[in-house]
Amino acid sequence: MHRQNSKMLALLSITMIALAVIMGLPFYYIIVNTLKTQQVAGNSPFGLPSRLFLDNYLSVFRTVPILRSALNTLYITGASVFLMLLIGSMAAYGMITRRTALNRLFGAALLLAFMVPFQSTLIPLYQMLARVHLVDSLNGLVVMYSAGSIFCYFLILGYMRTVPFEIIEAARIDGCGTFGIYWRIVLPLIRPILITVGVFQTMWVWNDFITPTVFLSSPVNKTLVLQVYSAVGQFAINWPAFMTLTVIVLFPVVVFFIAMQKHIVNGLVSGGIKG
Amino acid sequence: MNIDRNVIVGVALPGTVPRMQTLRHWWREAMARQVFLLPIAVVFLALFLIPLGQTLWYSLTDFNGYSRALRFVGIKNYVRAFTDPSMIASLGYTFFYAVSTTIVVTALAIPLAIALNQHFLGRNAVRAVFFFPAIPSIAVLGLVWSFILSPLPSGAVNTVIGLVGLGSVPWLSDPMLARLSTVLVSVWGQTGWHAILYLAYLQSIPSDFYEAAAIDGANARQRFFHLTLPLLAPAVTVSQMLLLTGGLKVFDLPYTLTKGGPGYATTTLSQVIIRRGLGEAKFGEASALAVVFMLLVLAVVVAQFAISRRLERRL
Repeated sequence: MHRQNSKMLALLSITMIALAVIMGLPFYYIIVNTLKTQQVAGNSPFGLPSRLFLDNYLSVFRTVPILRSALNTLYITGASVFLMLLIGSMAAYGMITRRTALNRLFGAALLLAFMVPFQSTLIPLYQMLARVHLVDSLNGLVVMYSAGSIFCYFLILGYMRTVPFEIIEAARIDGCGTFGIYWRIVLPLIRPILITVGVFQTMWVWNDFITPTVFLSSPVNKTLVLQVYSAVGQFAINWPAFMTLTVIVLFPVVVFFIAMQKHIVNGLVSGGIKG
Repeated sequence: MNIDRNVIVGVALPGTVPRMQTLRHWWREAMARQVFLLPIAVVFLALFLIPLGQTLWYSLTDFNGYSRALRFVGIKNYVRAFTDPSMIASLGYTFFYAVSTTIVVTALAIPLAIALNQHFLGRNAVRAVFFFPAIPSIAVLGLVWSFILSPLPSGAVNTVIGLVGLGSVPWLSDPMLARLSTVLVSVWGQTGWHAILYLAYLQSIPSDFYEAAAIDGANARQRFFHLTLPLLAPAVTVSQMLLLTGGLKVFDLPYTLTKGGPGYATTTLSQVIIRRGLGEAKFGEASALAVVFMLLVLAVVVAQFAISRRLERRL
């Protein structure tokens, strides 16, 4: 029985590793071709380069304003996620400590809002941003992403229900104001969910394509994803250069994945359950 | 501290002056907490309720975004939406995409999750590789795949097919193949993510369930259909809900892979709404599409929820 089991596991191991290799092949393909000239890449797209060729990296850094796009993306993501977590956690705290009939109704309305697809409100939102001169502006995009605070609110509310609130009442007797309690006691208490939701929303904003495509137009405002998108035309023939740009853009994402793997999976599970 | 004493006194001596202070204190405290709901109320009004109302209103007018004089046209925009060939094509494709990715991803992710739950060599690395495509922007991956599937020298898939002596396959320029390619790339990108979701549920099943089943003489197939699958039912509901709504709302992947072409073969509803509304400034028509789109998504969510509830109960 045991021997049969270990044989099965060995077979499974081989099958799964083979499948993983096939799944990962596109990433190998992207990376290996950044190290080749256009001609070598065309002749043997899967072969390893005979000598290290780094000109693609130099030329992409010279011709594409990657740093600028990276800073734009970083600003948009940082500001939006901060705002979403702030609004969402404030709302969850307010809702849990003040359960009036009106607030419950509002909670139900938020649930409905959560199901409205972005595409259905897109045109009026575009007009609204245009009226306040926030189209083609990084801050305008942050305003759009603050809509994500409703998602944060639901996840944080779910977590808060599991937190013992006697601590908060104790703090009230100790003379903490309502805001002081929120800032100094509630936020540290719900830190785990803030991290989970923060990671989840960071990935959404960082990777988003539809919102920046609609709302951003000038080259200086481009996010990293938009930069890759507009580079397709520029590098249509010189595709190793395109792959190089992709690798550069994917690098921070890989680092984030490795550092946050546990939280990403947590977010997937809790986001999936609530979503 | 002063206020707290008033609270106590107020309770002890009803109808006295301190009670008034208690009431005022209670009111102030209540309002201080209500203030916490203010930001989300602003978000709700400005980013959901008002624009949604505007979309509903525009859908009944001939508003074009420029002229101030907008006329009420009734359901004309809705009629036009349903007779427009690009709209019908995109409706068909969006449904095809949503349904086929949901079926294929589910069919692959459940066995994958069960395999990834076994203690085989290299398990963690394999898990990471399968999960990884869900991490980068799907728009970027779509662009990469547009190179991989192209007939030009960058098209690795056609290079491999050429080595076997077959001709180049028009992955992205033949309508049917283009539709298929978008689904394939989507499946490649999402299966690992959903497998990890299932895995999280699998890991919460106590192993003595399986031991008990084995003692009772249940074989592997029986264990799967009578133990694993019913216990995975909630995960199936969640995963399919995400796949279906995500599929209906999809924009990035077909757009970056095929630009919606050839013709309207892979044009999504989202793409039509954006093009009609912001590209051609036909706000009325685009809003009618947006309303139909929203009702469609809501209907699917409700139907899916009802069906899976019933199935879960039967299992």
